[in-house]
Amino acid sequence: MTKATATEPVENRTTATLRRIWRGISVPLVAVLLGLLIGALLLIASGSNPIDAYRALIKGAFGSPVAIQRTLEKATPLIFSGLAVAFAFKAGLFNIGAQGQLLVGAVVAAYVGFSIEGLPAIIHAPLALLAGGLAGALYGYIPGALKTYTGAHEVIVTIMLNYVAINLTDYLADGPWKDPSPTNIVARTPKIFPSASLPLVGNVPSGFILALIAALVVWWLLYRTTLGYEIRTVGLNSSAAQYAGIRVARMIILTMMISGFLAGLGGSVETLGINGRFQPGFNTGLGFDGITVALLGKTNPFGVIPAAILLGAMRAGSSQMQFSAGVASEITDVITAFILFFVAADVIVKKLIRQRGVDDEQVKLSTGWSSH
Amino acid sequence: MELTAEPRRETTSWLIRNKWTVVFGVIIAGTIFAALDFSCNNLTCVTAVLSSSLRQSTPLILGALCGVIGERSGVVNIGIEGQMLMAAFVAFLANVYLGNLWMATLIGASAGAFMGLLLAWMAVSLRMDQIIGGTVINILAIGITGYFYIPGLTTQGKFAPITLGPLADIPLIGPVLFRNGPITYLAIILVFVLHYVLFYTRWGLRTRAVGEHPRAADTVGINVYKMRYINVILGGALAGLAGAFLTLEGVGTFERGMTNGRGFLALAIMIMGKWTPIGSWGAALLFGFTYAMQTQLQFKGVNLPPQFIGSLPYILTILVLAGFVGRSRAPAASGVPYEKE
Amino acid sequence: MKRIALLLTGLLLLALLVAACGGTTQAPAATEAPAEEAAPTEAPAEEAAPTEAPAEEAAGDCSDEGVLCIGLVTDVGRIDDKSFNQSAWEGAQQAAEALGAAQVNYVETTNATDYAANIALFADQGYDIIVTVGFAMGEATAEAAGTYPDIDFIGVDQFQGEAIPNVTGLVFNEDKAGYMAGVLAASLSESGTIASVLGTDLVPPVVAFNEGYLNGAKSVNPDINIIATYHPGGLDVAFTDPEWGASTAQQAIDQGADVVFGAGGQTGNGALIQAAGNEGVWCIGVDTDQWETVPEAHPCLVSSAMKLITPGVVDLATMSSNGEFPGGNFFGAVGLADFHDHADAVPQEVKDLLDATNAGLLDGSISTGYNPGG
Repeated sequence: MTKATATEPVENRTTATLRRIWRGISVPLVAVLLGLLIGALLLIASGSNPIDAYRALIKGAFGSPVAIQRTLEKATPLIFSGLAVAFAFKAGLFNIGAQGQLLVGAVVAAYVGFSIEGLPAIIHAPLALLAGGLAGALYGYIPGALKTYTGAHEVIVTIMLNYVAINLTDYLADGPWKDPSPTNIVARTPKIFPSASLPLVGNVPSGFILALIAALVVWWLLYRTTLGYEIRTVGLNSSAAQYAGIRVARMIILTMMISGFLAGLGGSVETLGINGRFQPGFNTGLGFDGITVALLGKTNPFGVIPAAILLGAMRAGSSQMQFSAGVASEITDVITAFILFFVAADVIVKKLIRQRGVDDEQVKLSTGWSSH
Repeated sequence: MELTAEPRRETTSWLIRNKWTVVFGVIIAGTIFAALDFSCNNLTCVTAVLSSSLRQSTPLILGALCGVIGERSGVVNIGIEGQMLMAAFVAFLANVYLGNLWMATLIGASAGAFMGLLLAWMAVSLRMDQIIGGTVINILAIGITGYFYIPGLTTQGKFAPITLGPLADIPLIGPVLFRNGPITYLAIILVFVLHYVLFYTRWGLRTRAVGEHPRAADTVGINVYKMRYINVILGGALAGLAGAFLTLEGVGTFERGMTNGRGFLALAIMIMGKWTPIGSWGAALLFGFTYAMQTQLQFKGVNLPPQFIGSLPYILTILVLAGFVGRSRAPAASGVPYEKE
Repeated sequence: MKRIALLLTGLLLLALLVAACGGTTQAPAATEAPAEEAAPTEAPAEEAAPTEAPAEEAAGDCSDEGVLCIGLVTDVGRIDDKSFNQSAWEGAQQAAEALGAAQVNYVETTNATDYAANIALFADQGYDIIVTVGFAMGEATAEAAGTYPDIDFIGVDQFQGEAIPNVTGLVFNEDKAGYMAGVLAASLSESGTIASVLGTDLVPPVVAFNEGYLNGAKSVNPDINIIATYHPGGLDVAFTDPEWGASTAQQAIDQGADVVFGAGGQTGNGALIQAAGNEGVWCIGVDTDQWETVPEAHPCLVSSAMKLITPGVVDLATMSSNGEFPGGNFFGAVGLADFHDHADAVPQEVKDLLDATNAGLLDGSISTGYNPGG
């Protein structure tokens, strides 16, 4: 090896890069394969044909331009909520409340979308997006402020606020913001004006592109700015951060607001790009899936993207799987659980693929549980 | 250093030291009385509300106890929801095929314990991040109970309330406390047993030592891994009891996703109760009471959208938390995997 | 340590496999033929169970002229929900059998954003009749009807504001069924207090059932005390929270309610089963004859406020295959289910009163007092 370095420096650099890439993707890749393998065993054991099932799953997720579009549509809110949860983790905060922030963002974006007429699309859509994001940020402000000023644990407050958000948005959609058209008997807001809707770029939803940009911005914010450095310092050791002159209280509030902003954007994109209005029950679980996505992506902003696409693909493909292979969609949950397990238990995976050497940075989230 | 602080603490009276606790305790008690007074005009109604409070608090307190002993030994458990759901499912199947409620309860608790073992293995042996471990359990439980759900199964009945003789004839308290199903009684007993065990036995001391300062515990010869394994497994059994309560005592049948977030509420209740069994019980009862009030306000025909009434327990919790419980501190090593040197 | 890890992994996998095998032997239904289990008693389903033929093959069949294929998309919820999804699916199967359909299949919706995509699964295969279940799918159904003008859509619970020729809303006057249930409840009540435990008020049929129930009860006894509760949670939990239904029912029973009307999917079923555990309390089910779907409630289940989705779907499917698809709204039948084992407990004058009420509701001489606009 060392000899080769001397004689073939160019080739070595490429192999080194390749190796680095392999090191980065090998564990997740093997984890996905192992998850699918265990899923296959379950399918066989319960009398289904895993090849048929997986073929249908993949066909439903990637089999046609429309299928790919659906996968991306499913992945989009998950990227946002995944980023929201991951961002809070960086400051040692566990934001279980992405679901609530997302709901609030979705309903406010809908309100801006249906209540203002006559704006050009170039203003209307960004305005609605921004409003939804800010609503989420405001909703994230509550647990952040309560934590800093009263010490109320953000895990409780965000769980409670999730329930409040469901009730609040249900009330708005069934009360003051209800679709008044005479044919409507259902709790839902009016449809947004076309000027507020997010278009497709070819087969790619523009919300997905926004999500990619958001991931980039979050990465930049975390790793290329002083603010990001301070936030991460708070996450690693809040008393040391305090000692170093970082205003921890401000950081906590700011982090929760940015996290809420991201989740709120996720809700807005769902309203403006997919549903075209707010309707109770249409955004169920997107925020909770954000936790899974953040963990699958090891709380890395760029890791969140493939994690969300993976989850989105399984969501998009499961109907096809049920339709043509008769397999219940919950099998995808079992597969997801095992993928997450193997991604986190990379000790096992590395032993399997005989990968040695430096350990990646181990994800440590629950340390934030007892800090502050 | 603790020794020097000890005598000074003794000099101030309990009342003064805990004046905010007392003030807020009085406020909460007053609110409860006012709420009961507003929505009830006879004793039967008060009894009904309080019974319902106790009943709705049972799965919550069992789940919270699971969290308490896990975290006291240094393992964060956000998989309570999944452990409950899995146990509810297994307990239901056991009841269907064995037709014995007691056996089914035991099997349900064992299923919870098995999920606890899984968490302990991930958290202690693999040193996996504990939040991930809990999330794995939650997703796995949804997937497995959903995938293997068998439609059309019916059980052979559920636990009927057991009346504790003359105690049950005491007005108000009698029917509320002494006319319950076995798992509810068990839950109440467990609150006090766990409180005693955690704070007055050697076992409890060791558990707390492992949760606060595992390195020090290790040096005095406590087996950190063993303590964590045992506590998390026992915690799983408690969450399993909560699941068994849902299918065997509460509802009598299993539905997919029937825990409906109760495991996460249990987590919140554990924190509200400051990681103590009795504190958690208080929080769980308060929660059960707000749920019962929700229903009672609708019975009374209060002209508010159900969404407002539906938000009350959660807003109240936040208020109580922000104003009353305040800063709470988890066991210091909670969530940190321990590695022997 | 390593060995323990290995052992545990092995054990876990083993446990999963055992669970899996257990699952299979006890219930082939879990994966392939939910139909058989779904209809525990009526079981016309067996012959019509979804075939295993891969979709590709089916495509050739269904897109053929003269080959009938019927598809069904559930609302968020399950095909075996003991409620409206299940009833609609039984209807689709019965229709498929009666009309000699080559294919009958369903897709369960897990997320409301998938309505359109799930409809497209059938439409793209050339299915001829697609049943979409639940009011929430109304919009997606109407849009699909525009995209696929050759397919007939049956929209269960979907009231049609403007008639589309290839969509027929199978709708019901739930308030009338509720009214009958209210008359029965008030007649049976000895305490003068009756209760209803309901899914969310965000769903119009639930409100209709309850309003009818209230007015029906008052028509018998104007002074009756009715305690009605809607689930306070959101749409995603309101119908799947049996423990809330059970404790709410008990809270009402403790305050003297001796008839409980459980209307709200699994939540309502929880209330029925809870009532069954109380001496001297009657309960009334909803949607289908719940004597068949919730046997745990037999001790108290005197009847059910039914909306007959199954025959409605069969009728509409038959009309479609005869080329007489009506479009607009089609009102399905509603009414009370049989008293089954409790027939003797219901006095003859109550039965007469119910017959008279039914007749009055049919000819319009009795109004349920339910006005969805206001």
